[in-house]
Amino acid sequence: MTAPTATATATATAATVTVLTPTVREGARRSVFWASAGAFVLLVAIGVLSLIGVSGDAPRLSPANPAPDGAMAVAEVLAGQGVDVRPTDTLDDTIAAASDPATTTIALFDEDGQLDDAQRQTLLETGAHLIVLEPGFAELASFAPGVSSAGAPDDDPLRAGCALSAATMAATVSPGGLAYRAGASAELCLTSDSDTGADAHSYIRVETAGTVVSIVGATEALTNAAVTDLGNAAFALNLLGEDETLVWYRPSILDAAGGTDPSALTPGWVTPAIALLILVAAAAAFWRGRRFGPLVIEDLPVVVRASETMEGRARLYEKGSARVRALDSLRMATISRLATRSGLPTTTDVEQVCLAVAAALRTDPAGIRSLLVGQIPETDADLVRLSDRLLALETALAEELRP
Amino acid sequence: MAVSGWFVALLALGIVPVVAFGDALALMGWLTIVAAVGAVDLTLAGSPRAVTLARELPARVRLGDTATSSLTITNPGRRGIRGIVRDAWSPSAGAAPTRARIAIPAGERRSVTTSLTPFRRGDRSASQVTIRSFGPLGLVARQATIAAPGVLRVLPAFSSRKHLPSRLARLRELDGSTSVQVRGQGTEFDSLRDYVRGDDVRSIDWRATARRSDPSSGAGPRLTIRTWRPERDRRVVIVIDSGRTSAARIANEPRIDTAFESSLLLAALASRAGDRVDTVIYDRRVRGRIQGATGAQLLSQMVSTMAPVQPELIEMDWAAVPELVRSVTSQRALVVLMTSIDAPGASRGLLSVLPQLTRRHLVVVASVADPDITRATHERRNRTEVYRAAAAERALLDTARVSAAIRQLGADVITGTPESLPPAVADRYIALKLAGRL
Repeated sequence: MTAPTATATATATAATVTVLTPTVREGARRSVFWASAGAFVLLVAIGVLSLIGVSGDAPRLSPANPAPDGAMAVAEVLAGQGVDVRPTDTLDDTIAAASDPATTTIALFDEDGQLDDAQRQTLLETGAHLIVLEPGFAELASFAPGVSSAGAPDDDPLRAGCALSAATMAATVSPGGLAYRAGASAELCLTSDSDTGADAHSYIRVETAGTVVSIVGATEALTNAAVTDLGNAAFALNLLGEDETLVWYRPSILDAAGGTDPSALTPGWVTPAIALLILVAAAAAFWRGRRFGPLVIEDLPVVVRASETMEGRARLYEKGSARVRALDSLRMATISRLATRSGLPTTTDVEQVCLAVAAALRTDPAGIRSLLVGQIPETDADLVRLSDRLLALETALAEELRP
Repeated sequence: MAVSGWFVALLALGIVPVVAFGDALALMGWLTIVAAVGAVDLTLAGSPRAVTLARELPARVRLGDTATSSLTITNPGRRGIRGIVRDAWSPSAGAAPTRARIAIPAGERRSVTTSLTPFRRGDRSASQVTIRSFGPLGLVARQATIAAPGVLRVLPAFSSRKHLPSRLARLRELDGSTSVQVRGQGTEFDSLRDYVRGDDVRSIDWRATARRSDPSSGAGPRLTIRTWRPERDRRVVIVIDSGRTSAARIANEPRIDTAFESSLLLAALASRAGDRVDTVIYDRRVRGRIQGATGAQLLSQMVSTMAPVQPELIEMDWAAVPELVRSVTSQRALVVLMTSIDAPGASRGLLSVLPQLTRRHLVVVASVADPDITRATHERRNRTEVYRAAAAERALLDTARVSAAIRQLGADVITGTPESLPPAVADRYIALKLAGRL
């Protein structure tokens, strides 16, 4: 045979070497644009953020939260009116901030129940006016033993119902938050109707161990979203702005019990060992991940199986239960094969083929005609049966005509 | 730059001083030591940027064969290079091994041998060589990628050449004594020779007998007969469809590859039989054209031209084919169209131009049949398979309809599986030659 063997030898000699890997200096020069662009974007981001300011303080009823459920509006207005608003998040800070109990109000909102009994007692002993927002069972037990929870108030606005200035000036306050019950010794304000009558109140003032404690369930009135509704603003400002100083205390995880420092329990080598392990992991990643030169481009061919159109058509037949159409294909193919086998041209009429086949097999032409033309498959089982019979007919004719 | 596993191990060894001294200072100290050792190793590594490369490889290899590529690396630097080299061949080039360890002392050169067993036809290329050169401690390496282009043209396998000897033998039979008895159309006058018993008496050339007889010798007249041989110097034009339908795979071989196989076998046979073969690969423009080549040149040119041709995902422009054939030859020729006849709709273009071709030429349409479809018609065990058989029968009926239409237009149709089509085309050529229809 001739040519297609590996005969010709071409020698490609690289006289001038083209190194594709950039040198350190080239690499630095190439990346200077992107590095400077990245630095620029970072600077702009820092600048914009410092101008706009970002509030990491998103919790509910926080004096620094501008969201609908925050209380920044009330805090800002109070500050504008000359009240010294001091947000705190630890007990020590709170006590330090409430240095003059006579002119200080402490608003306590312990949503997560961080404080324990002793800490609550300490807070009570400061002597400052204590406003407890949405107290739970434990807090009620510490701050106002005579008050008990009454669930949520109903949907009507809360009526003042007492002589305390915050309530009378507001007249009506938005429902929402919690309601409480107490005996007659307490001053009961912001009445709502409960199942047992008008005995649920959202603002109760009691005196516990010489300290004035206000139990406030109507926290909805303090939120940014609702503070302008009804008499909410009057209620919020009068309630919180009674004294010169308002310490807004939201206990945090720093108040949680657990005095021992975990670092005292671990040996000194643990931290450096962890750092070393991280470095080893990074080095191992670099060792395994360093690419051995650029990727090579491979032009992939189109891979299409030619029988895919056939498979697709089969699935369409099956999905549409096109029994008659499917059987037609099978019958036409069978008729054409039978005609060829019987020595008739492929263009022969079906009747002729039926007669020829019946004659060869010595059977009734009507039966063969009904198989080849007449019967309509009602179910898939019929279709499979008819298809089997078509195959059987072909085999029978082939057997019969075998010399 | 790259690091080795030893470097990572050395770094991990720092856990000993860290635990022993229980101090962050120990960690800092260890990191300093490792960094210093690494820096020394890096500076002592031979420069992979300075090397010169020379690649030596055969220009062509037949699909399925193995070629050897040798890469000579010269190290002109002052320090030796010890490390790994990667010759980046594309995956379909079937390179093995892809990585090689090298140790080239300063001022010397070494060669790296890679065996290439490509598994796809076409131009397989290598673009670059990457060298990773480790320092004397084997901790840190310098790495550089150097452009070293290389191209290996992978020719069609031409596995159907195994059919060639038997077909050539039949051609010789046709050429020799047998043709004496086959007078008439399709044969041309070859020579005069003495009559031997068994020759057809109708072949006796009485005029030549009379001229040769010598009355003075007294012997009887020596009968002379004419011998005939098949026609020679006929034209065969092969048109290969490289349009979208030629991309479809049948028995894991694209249609175009089967068309190439058939064309190569037909060309080999026809060129031995003294006919002139021209081949055009076409979809909407000419992808390859082999014209005017004869003898040993023909097959060599054909495989080289076919090697890089891949199917294009565009529709075949049949309307331009008659003009294309006319540009190849103005004589009557055997025109073989290597295409697919699947569905009446898809073959409309072919059917519309066939009359123009059959008016002047003898046209044969060769198409690959899918053995999967034939097999599917017999498998009818359950509901899904019956529907599949119905779809397969429908596909066969479609092909039969197109074939009938082609025959009606005066052309001939050959279908076969990828294995059987090339010999079928060759047999049809021999049959046509025997019948003198070329």
